[in-house]
Amino acid sequence: MSEKDDRTVAIEVDHVTKRFRLSDAGRSLKAAVLDRVMRRRAHEFTALDDVSLRVYKGETVGIVGANGAGKSTLLSIIARTLTPTSGSVRTHGTVSSLLELGAGFHPDLTGRENVMLYGSIMGIKASEMRRKFDEIVAFAGLESFIDQPVRFYSSGMYVRLGFSVAVQVNPDILLVDEVLAVGDADFQRRCMDKMDEFRNSGKTLLLITHDLNTIRRIANRIAYLSHGRLAGLGDPTLVTDRYMSDSVMKESMVVDDHEWGEQSAAHFTSAAFVDPKTGEEKTKSADCPTDDPVFRLRWHADRRIERPVVGFAIDDSISGRRIFGGNTQISGHEIPFIEGDGSIDLKIDTSTLQVGEYIFSFSLHSWDHKTNYHRLEHTLLLRVQNRKWFDGLVSLPVSWSGPNPPET
Amino acid sequence: MLEDWNKRGDLVRILVARNLKIRYKGSALGFFWSLLTPALTILMYAIFAHILKFNNGQPRYLEYLVGGIIIWGFTAGAMNDALFCIVGNANLVKKVYFPRLILPLTTALASGVNFLLTFVPLVLYLALDGGLDLSRGYWLVPAFVFQLALCTGICCFIGTANVFFRDAQHIVGVGQLAWFFLTPVFYYPEMQIAAFPAPDPLKFLVFLNPMTGVLAMYRRGLMGLELIPREWAAAVPASSVWLSGLVCLAALAAGLAALNAGNRKFGDVL
Repeated sequence: MSEKDDRTVAIEVDHVTKRFRLSDAGRSLKAAVLDRVMRRRAHEFTALDDVSLRVYKGETVGIVGANGAGKSTLLSIIARTLTPTSGSVRTHGTVSSLLELGAGFHPDLTGRENVMLYGSIMGIKASEMRRKFDEIVAFAGLESFIDQPVRFYSSGMYVRLGFSVAVQVNPDILLVDEVLAVGDADFQRRCMDKMDEFRNSGKTLLLITHDLNTIRRIANRIAYLSHGRLAGLGDPTLVTDRYMSDSVMKESMVVDDHEWGEQSAAHFTSAAFVDPKTGEEKTKSADCPTDDPVFRLRWHADRRIERPVVGFAIDDSISGRRIFGGNTQISGHEIPFIEGDGSIDLKIDTSTLQVGEYIFSFSLHSWDHKTNYHRLEHTLLLRVQNRKWFDGLVSLPVSWSGPNPPET
Repeated sequence: MLEDWNKRGDLVRILVARNLKIRYKGSALGFFWSLLTPALTILMYAIFAHILKFNNGQPRYLEYLVGGIIIWGFTAGAMNDALFCIVGNANLVKKVYFPRLILPLTTALASGVNFLLTFVPLVLYLALDGGLDLSRGYWLVPAFVFQLALCTGICCFIGTANVFFRDAQHIVGVGQLAWFFLTPVFYYPEMQIAAFPAPDPLKFLVFLNPMTGVLAMYRRGLMGLELIPREWAAAVPASSVWLSGLVCLAALAAGLAALNAGNRKFGDVL
C-alpha cells in the first residue's frame, strides 16, 4: 500500500479488535452483582481480530465474507455506533450509513419527521433538508406514504426511504450494509445508478454485499473478512476468487472423504502437517514455517493390497489452478504392500512457491491406476509467507551472466 | 462527546418536539393537556382540601402544596422519562452516530418545556387566589437553571443505568417516592429542618437534598416565602440554598461521567 500513501485517506482502521461480552445485554442487577461476587468470567466473542484497513478518498471498497465474519461489526465501528475494544478508527469527512437495512428511524414518527430527524443528526440545516425533501421522497417512491408513521411501512419501503435519505444528505463517505439484497429490480437499478453517481463525484463508498458479481464490477478494491480477520485485501477479482475458493473448500472439507472405486478396501484415516518442532499433526491448515513441510498420511487397509500408489496434488486457492502433482510411483518410491494401519511421510520443497495459499488433495490407488481406493479432495490448506519478491506463481532457478562484451 | 454542537441545534429542537409529541401522541387535545392537567390538579386539591379541611390551620397551605407538586412534577417527570431516553431510542443509537448526550439532554429539556407550560395555570391560580408575589421573581431563574441541570444529570445517569440493568425502573420508582417524602413538597421546610438528625450548626445540610433548595428558590420567587423559615433563620444561613445548587451541578457532572463511561458499550448491549 505504500505506493498509494500520497492519496488522501478517507477511512483509517487501525488494529481494530472488537470483543462482545455475551452476558452484557439486558442483565439484571442481581446477575451483575453475582457475576462480580462469584468472579464469573463473562463469555467473550471476538467479532473482529486486529483488522487494519485504509480506504482512500474517492475509492469504492467492497467487504465480503461469510455470515458472522465481522463485516457488519466493522461497518458499525466505522460508523461509530460501536466502539472498538482496542484499536482506533478515523474518518475524514461526513459519514452517512445504512446499517442493517435502516437509517435509524423511529417507528412512531412519520416518514417526513424521520427524514428531518436524520438530516438534523447529519448536521444539515432544516431549511436545506426541506429543499432536498421532495427529491428524497421521489427517489424512494413514497409520495403517498410520507406522512404515515414508518411503523406502517413494508420492509421494502423502509429500506428505500433509508437509502434515499442516506444518499441525499450528500455525505463524503457512505457506508452501506447489504442494501442490494432488498428492493425490487427497479429500485436496485436506481440504487446502482445513484451509487455510480456518488462514486463519480469523487466520494468514498464502503459496501457490504453478498452479490459478488456487482461488487467486482463497481469496487476498486475488496476486503475479505474471515472469522474476524482480514483474509484478503486488493484486486476485486483475485479477492472474491479467494473468498469463493475458501467457501468451496470449507464445503468440500465436510464431504471430503467420499470414496470412489473399490469400496472401503483401503482408505485414508488422516492427512496432516507434521509440526517440525513438536511432531504434532495438524489436520486443518498451517502456516508454512519451513520451506520443506512434512505431510503424514495415515491409512487403513482391510486386506493386503500389493504395490499401492499414494498421490498428491497442489492447487492454488485463488485460481484453483493445479500447481503440481505427483505420486510414489513417479518418484520411484515403491510401497511393497499395505495391510491394516499404516502411514507414510511426504516432504515437499515449497521454497519456489509464490506467497499464497495452497490446497492439497491426496489419493490412494492401485499400481495400474485402475482401482482408486480413496481420494481426499481439498483437505489441507498450506499458507506460504515470507518470500523474497518475485513475479508469477513459481520461482524457477535462474542464473545470470554478463553483461556480455559488445559484439563486433 | 461535545463536538459539533453548533450544528446540533436543529437536532435538539426536533428531539425536544418529538418527546413532547410522543407524550400526547394520539390524544385529541395534544399540548392542551400540559395546561389542563395542572389546572385540573389544582381544582382537585382545592375541592378535597375544602371538603376535608386539611390545611392544618396554615394560611395558604393549598397554594403551597399545589406549587410544590407542580415544581416536583418537573423532576419526577424527568426521572420517569429518563429510564427510556436511551433504551427507547435503541434504533437510533445502533444505526447513526451523534453525541449521545443529546438524548438525555433533550429528555430533560422536554420535561422542562412541559413544566414551563404547567407553570402558566399555576401562576394564574396564585394570581386569582392572591398568593402571587413576584417581587423577588428573579429567584425563579436560578431555581429553573439548577433544576434543569439536576434533571439533565438524572436523565444521563438513569438512562445509562437502564441500558445495563433493567432493574433500574423498579429502583427509580421506589427511590422517587422516598425522595418525595424527604423533600418539603407537601410539608413545610421548618418540619424538615427540625426532623433533620443533626445539631443546629449542621442543620444547613438539609440542603444536600437538591430539591430542598430548588423548592425554596421557586417559592421565594413565586410567593415571596422566606428561603429559610423564620424560626431557623438564626441557625441556618440563607446562603445554604446555594449548597443545593452545587449539588445540582454535581449531579449533572456525575450524570455526564456515567454517560461517558457507558457510552462505549451502548452499541454492544442495546
